[in-house]
Amino acid sequence: MRNILIKEFRLSASPLSFFFILFGLMFFIPGYPILLGAFFVTLGLFYSFQATRETNDILYSALLPIAKRDVVKGKYAFVCSVEGISFLLMAAVVIVRMTLLKDSPVYRNNALMNANLFALGGALLIFGLFNLIFLSGFFKTAYKIGRPFVIYVIVVLFTVTAFEALHHFPGLGALNAFGTDSMTLQLLMLLAGALLCVIMTVLSCGTACSRFEKLDL
Amino acid sequence: MAIVEVKDLTKRYPSFTLDGVSFGIGSGRITGFIGRNGAGKTTTIKAMLNLVHPDSGTVSFFGKPMAGNETEIKKHIGYSTGAVSWYPRKKIRDIVDIEKRFYDSWDLESYGKYMELFALDDRKTPMELSEGMKVKLNLLLALSHKAEVLILDEPTSGLDPFSRNELLDIFTELKNHGVAVFFSTHIISDIEKCADDIVYISKGKIVSAVSKDDFIRNHSLDGESLEDTMLRLERSSSNA
Repeated sequence: MRNILIKEFRLSASPLSFFFILFGLMFFIPGYPILLGAFFVTLGLFYSFQATRETNDILYSALLPIAKRDVVKGKYAFVCSVEGISFLLMAAVVIVRMTLLKDSPVYRNNALMNANLFALGGALLIFGLFNLIFLSGFFKTAYKIGRPFVIYVIVVLFTVTAFEALHHFPGLGALNAFGTDSMTLQLLMLLAGALLCVIMTVLSCGTACSRFEKLDL
Repeated sequence: MAIVEVKDLTKRYPSFTLDGVSFGIGSGRITGFIGRNGAGKTTTIKAMLNLVHPDSGTVSFFGKPMAGNETEIKKHIGYSTGAVSWYPRKKIRDIVDIEKRFYDSWDLESYGKYMELFALDDRKTPMELSEGMKVKLNLLLALSHKAEVLILDEPTSGLDPFSRNELLDIFTELKNHGVAVFFSTHIISDIEKCADDIVYISKGKIVSAVSKDDFIRNHSLDGESLEDTMLRLERSSSNA
């Protein structure tokens, strides 16, 4: 698996996938739907799948002395690595906003979602949706990227809108907590996001492996 | 003794059927896989490599079925296709650096030898190579991990006559080292020059899978060249 992951990083990946990790810094932007930062990270990953198709990467990988399902697992390992790195970047931003900048007026006077642990849980949910919808959709054919990405974009835009709206509903204001306010709730929301991300990724990987096994290349 | 056994391989497409394809590839033998465009050569090769799933039939390498032993088997075989180039904008040295990680048997000496022989420059990218040089690059990758079986899909297409001759000489050298070389082609003179065995496929069915001498004995008329024999067989198959 180590070698296939190295191959993914050095041969298959588009440089844009790495550049778009920086969109995690969008968690600093006040008055902006910050979860779009997570979406832009997945947009960067989408470019790698475009490159995968253009460079015959799937056929090359399938001919290597590895099991066919390892080709799929390599892609998942790459995607999860990029998502993991961008999550760490977002988490660092959230920690700064929850501590040093917790009373900053630009963030306090912000009608949109605050960058807290709930937002981080939301970012993980978006990564999970990308893995569930786009990745398993891609491995239906191992070359069609448009349809699964469009479906993912529609779902993610609804998700971001819902997350932005939630704290405006009566009784849900605590989701927009500043600093360490409502810490238990924030932690629970982060854990829920992480759990959903893991479940969606594992389910998606299993589906993608069995789809790819049946594909004629 | 066959090092590769293909038995009753069948794959149905809406407009084409690969129909009960069976043949063997001997160790230290050069086997030419011949047939016109669309006869089923590439489908057969892809099915042998588990890239295409046959509806029925089996493929075994070294006495082991491909199903369940794919990883181990692929370490001992080399595959090259004439037309496809991977990662057109990556430097050859970067592609090689990744490829060799997957093979314990990667042979730097062979790699250096074939780099020199094929006059390849590893600072170039595949898109900077001519079609012929791309074929050589694919072959270089296949030859550098000491494969015991080489499966080559139209390796001589796009090569100039000198390079083709060079390649056929390499096949003979590999055969002398016990390597089984299986290559598809529609250039009959390539088969004439170096093949020991001929597998002839037409419209998805194996017409003949015997030694070259037996093929000539069974099918050629007096004084007829192999090329003329093949053309006659194809014409009669088209008229049938």
